[in-house]
Amino acid sequence: MKAKVAFFDFACCEGCQLQVANIGEALLDVLDKIDVVEFREVMSEKSGGDYDVAVIEGSITTKHAIERIKEIRSIAKVLITIGACASIGGVNGMKNNFELPEIKKYVYGEDEKYFDSVPTMAVDQVVKVDYYVHGCPMYVPEFVTVLKHALMGIPYKAPEKSVCTECKLNENECLFDRGLTCMGPVTRAGCNSWCINNGNICYGCRGMLDDPAKTGQIEILKKHDIPLEWVTNKFNMYNKAKDVKENENE
Amino acid sequence: MENLVILKKEDLNDFVMQIARTKKVVAPVKKGVKSFAFEEVTSGERIDLDYTSTILPPKKYFLPQKETIVEYDKSKKKWTPTLYSEEIVLFGVHTCDLFGIQCLDIIFSENPKDFNYILRKNRILIIGLECSNYCDENASCALMDNHNPNGGYDLFFTEIDDRFIIHVNTYHGEKLINKTGLCTKADKRDISELRLLKERKRNVFKNEVDIPYAELKPLFEKSMKSKVWDEIGEKCVSCGNCTNVCPTCYCFDIIDDINLDLNTGTRTRVWDSCQNGSFAEVAGGENFREDRGERQRHRLNRKFNYPVSKFRRYFCTGCGRCTRACVAGIDLKETINSLIEEKKGN
Repeated sequence: MKAKVAFFDFACCEGCQLQVANIGEALLDVLDKIDVVEFREVMSEKSGGDYDVAVIEGSITTKHAIERIKEIRSIAKVLITIGACASIGGVNGMKNNFELPEIKKYVYGEDEKYFDSVPTMAVDQVVKVDYYVHGCPMYVPEFVTVLKHALMGIPYKAPEKSVCTECKLNENECLFDRGLTCMGPVTRAGCNSWCINNGNICYGCRGMLDDPAKTGQIEILKKHDIPLEWVTNKFNMYNKAKDVKENENE
Repeated sequence: MENLVILKKEDLNDFVMQIARTKKVVAPVKKGVKSFAFEEVTSGERIDLDYTSTILPPKKYFLPQKETIVEYDKSKKKWTPTLYSEEIVLFGVHTCDLFGIQCLDIIFSENPKDFNYILRKNRILIIGLECSNYCDENASCALMDNHNPNGGYDLFFTEIDDRFIIHVNTYHGEKLINKTGLCTKADKRDISELRLLKERKRNVFKNEVDIPYAELKPLFEKSMKSKVWDEIGEKCVSCGNCTNVCPTCYCFDIIDDINLDLNTGTRTRVWDSCQNGSFAEVAGGENFREDRGERQRHRLNRKFNYPVSKFRRYFCTGCGRCTRACVAGIDLKETINSLIEEKKGN
């Protein structure tokens, strides 16, 4: 029997779901293995039943979203987050740089009172997550890998290396040597240094390494004469949501 | 000197194009603003003979980053060992990297022999290139005695003025030279100019660190408990760049992948690094080298100490890549100097 898989989105651009729809030829192999029962981005049918796998895009930014993700979790055997928003909070976390009432007023003006809003959280700050597919957008090969792991019921862990490791293997010139500030050294690998391969810097969209070696990182900044604030500012673009303490929004 | 021939520089393009017609030619080309990499070329145009050092050493052709070694089919209970190799002409390899390839040869020819490596290596023709000057301040090739050629090539190019003086070292090399038909025999003037260059090199390349070659191993043996390891451990972020770019690092991991049919799949060999936190972790969670300093100590002992006991040679080529590639600025020469200083202090 095929696994029943449902896709849901929260605060996001739906770009990661678009990546799923865009997988290309491998999508046929994927569809051979799963039965997509809900996927608003590509189909209008809804099953509303129990799910073998729930795939979540987007971060949790409202009280309603908290209730909804809890509901999904309670009827899904396995929960996978896709993309930076769901996995680490992503760009929506930038909201947390401001006091909530202040930023609500800035965005909604006088109608601010009609909008329900809480500090941005990643999905795992509300419910248990079984698998993560990181990145903004998510890295498609990693999604396929994670899906296979989920179907076989074995754990998947993103590499415990920094983006630098993969970047060097791709023989990219180090961006620090070009006078640029890159988040590679502190960012979790697994994207095959996608951005740097294509001429960009790393923005840290896959989140911080579990053990980033703080003293060494400060040494890197010193060596290249880069102020710490630059790096924290850049890094906060994707990673600010993780500052929210557990149960803070309950 | 029967085996010396001359190729005019203006003929290099023809030379490469002729070979590239039937074989894959890889050579140093510019990458980014000030870096270089070995890449496939079809003519001499992109080749940069003034290159300093490539980001990755030529080991990527001998030991691919990702190599499928087995294909399997669960339902049919089929298990098929695989080998991928192709005929390659590796052009423009500096003497430090020639030494690196020789080190890999030793490792993979040891019992149990690694046939994938050996069969692949047999199809690679190596053309060396003499350095008349240092590539940059990070190299320590004179310390490791690798600034001059010491075998390990089929042909060896030395650039002098408007020509290359080529040492033909193997039958395969000779065949290649004959096939292009572009080379002439070296005469007395060529040979004396080659001798002059070697003499000039003696004044250019001088031991970069204040320690004799033979004293390196004892230095590392006596430095197992050195504070220097703690210091570089503080700097290290375990990105593994130093081992990935090292011409003699060969540690690998084996990964089993399954296709989406959840039936067929592959077993691949991928580069691993002793700098990864989990490298020395075993079942039950015990980690033999949990500390970054311990891991760096291990890396350098695998260059300057252990292989000397086992193979009677250092496994550092002096290429300087580990220093160049370290984002945190851990410098090999500085590390050796700190160890020397510490010993003096004791």
